[in-house]
Amino acid sequence: MKKEKTPELNLIIAGVGGQGSIRASHIVGIAAIQEGMRARVGETFGAAMRGGAVASHVRIGKGIFAPLIAKDGAEIVLALEPLEGLRNAVKFLAKGGLLLTNTHAWMPVDVNIGRAEYPTLEAIKGAVEKLGGEVVAIDATSLAQQAGNVRTMNVVMLGALAGTGKLPISVKTLKEVVRENVPPKTIEANLRAFELGFKTIQ
Amino acid sequence: MTEFADLIVEDAPGKRVLLMGNEAIARGAIEAGVGVATSYPGTPASEILETLALAAPKLGFHAEWSVNEKVAFEVAAGAAITGVRALTSMKNAGLNWVMDMFMTLVYGGVRGGFVIAVGDDPDAHYSSNEQDTRFAAFYGEIPCLEPADPQEAREMTRYAFELSERLELPVLVRSVTRICHASGDVEFGKIEKPERKPVFDRHWKLPWRWNVYGPPGPVEKHRWLHGQMPQIKKLVETIPWNKLELRGKPIFGIIASGLGASYAREAVKMLGLENKVAFLKLGTPTPLPEQLVGRMLKSVKSVLVVEEGEPLVELQVRGLAKDMNPDVKLLGKLTGSMPPVGEINTNIVAHALAKLVKRKLPADQPRELIKDEIKNLVTPRSSTLCAGCPHLGSYWALKLALRKVGGKVPIVNGDIGCYEQGGYGIVGKEYKLSFSTESVRYPIDSPYETLDTNYIMGGGVGLMQGQFQAGYKDGAIVGVAGDSTFFHACIPAVINAVYNKAKGLFLVMDNEWTAMTGHQPNPATGITATKEETKLLCVEDVAKACGVEFIQTVDPFDLKTTTAAIEEALKSDKFAIVVARHVCTLQAQRQKKFVGKRMIFDRDKCTGCKICVTFGCPGIIFKEGKAGLDPILCNGCGMCTEVCPTGAIRVEE
Repeated sequence: MKKEKTPELNLIIAGVGGQGSIRASHIVGIAAIQEGMRARVGETFGAAMRGGAVASHVRIGKGIFAPLIAKDGAEIVLALEPLEGLRNAVKFLAKGGLLLTNTHAWMPVDVNIGRAEYPTLEAIKGAVEKLGGEVVAIDATSLAQQAGNVRTMNVVMLGALAGTGKLPISVKTLKEVVRENVPPKTIEANLRAFELGFKTIQ
Repeated sequence: MTEFADLIVEDAPGKRVLLMGNEAIARGAIEAGVGVATSYPGTPASEILETLALAAPKLGFHAEWSVNEKVAFEVAAGAAITGVRALTSMKNAGLNWVMDMFMTLVYGGVRGGFVIAVGDDPDAHYSSNEQDTRFAAFYGEIPCLEPADPQEAREMTRYAFELSERLELPVLVRSVTRICHASGDVEFGKIEKPERKPVFDRHWKLPWRWNVYGPPGPVEKHRWLHGQMPQIKKLVETIPWNKLELRGKPIFGIIASGLGASYAREAVKMLGLENKVAFLKLGTPTPLPEQLVGRMLKSVKSVLVVEEGEPLVELQVRGLAKDMNPDVKLLGKLTGSMPPVGEINTNIVAHALAKLVKRKLPADQPRELIKDEIKNLVTPRSSTLCAGCPHLGSYWALKLALRKVGGKVPIVNGDIGCYEQGGYGIVGKEYKLSFSTESVRYPIDSPYETLDTNYIMGGGVGLMQGQFQAGYKDGAIVGVAGDSTFFHACIPAVINAVYNKAKGLFLVMDNEWTAMTGHQPNPATGITATKEETKLLCVEDVAKACGVEFIQTVDPFDLKTTTAAIEEALKSDKFAIVVARHVCTLQAQRQKKFVGKRMIFDRDKCTGCKICVTFGCPGIIFKEGKAGLDPILCNGCGMCTEVCPTGAIRVEE
């Protein structure tokens, strides 16, 4: 992490199409702009298809230009799905960085048809630790169900991210931006989801 | 929650918001008072018109999804001829469709500002090629503006209208995937409301201005076009996006265009070279600001050129260096300092810079070795069709029918759309090359290996006719296309098939939406870009009018009937069209029109034959020798009950 004077954060939010990783990355980007920083959110998504790998590169701070994070340049990988967390951690997680991941797996078709194996959570943890990274895993999918809507899983993860204290954005602003950027009917569930994620980490 | 449609039309200069590059381009057009906006969907450019379609009813301008890019271009050009500001947007390959009009419209140009916004796709994330459309601007002798980030995308698009009117020429704004689909903080400008009553004047400033053959004819109009160049060249020396930073005694220089400049700035920062480099940031890769380039070339001994795409800037700089400083050492794609294909990034630029200043980038070798080990753990996630997708049914039926009556080696010609995933294969599978002199049949052992050929919009139905006319006899000849593709590019090819007596099966997979690019409406949907109801066009009606005699319509959820119809078509001695129609499942779910059935999987009845797995639905899983249904992904379409031979999957009564 850079010094507090010039807060800059390189964060990857990874997941599978349909999990809300893009929404989550926009919430962080909007919150950063509201606090006077610059923001870049580089997205990789293609077809409207569900189930594809999606990664958003979120860069907030002052002197940022490129939409993509450099190799080994992410202080945090926030993973809505463990395998996608590993995929991005291997490429982008900085030494000493944090992989904050949901424990609930979304199997690729390759695994379902028996062409590949899904790594265990222990294997993922071991791998990232070998790279000098820290891994924190939470069952965000269950917490989202607890919040009353399984689709708030992305916001549980945002709450957890805020709980680490590593975001140069105030929790108040984040919650406000969550409120303004989710469907009106789901505001309460999303705010509960945020709190549940936040408390799990704190 | 502020609706995005309200935000994007807010006249709030100075307001800072997070916008995607495509939305920023749309905002630039809104601020310029665009009157007519047209497009055909294509990733990564689709959100430009999606955004404008949201704004159009609020501001009272026209926005449309045209049937294809060529028509879109002509509609926008027609508006610009009457003095109204117009924009047409498209993906890289979309520009290929417009080249005829593009290369001719510039002979005389336009009256109202005309902006051509193109989303290129270096690295072919969503495209069949990596073409660099900046060359089209060079070819057509018009200016190209290339933003470095979403903020510039907004400013440049807005300015492009003004520039277009000053030069009386179209202006191309070239964006790339990493700007189109990247979001950034964008500051709004003021929304202009130019009063533009459409006018027509046949001889406006030039005789027969809008009729290229009208006297004095094309050559004189080409001369007029050339006459505009000195003015363009003068303008680009002073526009704010071309900027030379020359301080102290730089040891080398960087000339970087568009997004390349953003990566180059990061790379300079990474290497701590901020005060040692002369930096020429370019916003107009063509024409170049020659004076600025000259000053750079005369100030340093070596220059690295950084750009996304082909070496357009580099080639021009090379030409200029010959006169301005032949001793300067130029590095870029032509010298192997930058990779010739794929997209660039901060690391690639940093690597080239480090070499230039003879510095080693810090590398953690042991960590790289660990990464190589870990890579085996990173299971691929292959692209699939969605759970419950009607195309799954169409492909299954096609596969069964071909097995029965498709002959030894059938050829299935693919096309562009969601259904092209039937030709992607599974990641990481290795293929053995063949040097056979005979036709070869390959087993389709994954559901995503059905398509034998696939190139461009409407390409398949043309290719199949060539195979027929060549006398191919080793198997059935098939073409597939979607509804939007059918209207976009297939109609002349269908007429051609009838006219020239070609035979074969053309399977149209009609899911009523342009789904792959994010569910835009098309003539098969019955609504317009701005959600107004309109006439719904039927593929069958059009095919009939084209003279096709064998036309059958089926519901691909009904696998038996679909298979039977395809079989009959394959046996027919005519050019046969089968329309497999079922609305896109995602779209049906969004509109709450889809009622999933409750499915029951009987593990005891499953013999582990994996036939359901080859159906290819991501809702079907296979674990410990038995199949099963993923409760989250399965949406209860019920197609798999027809696939399972042992009755292990059934619908709850």
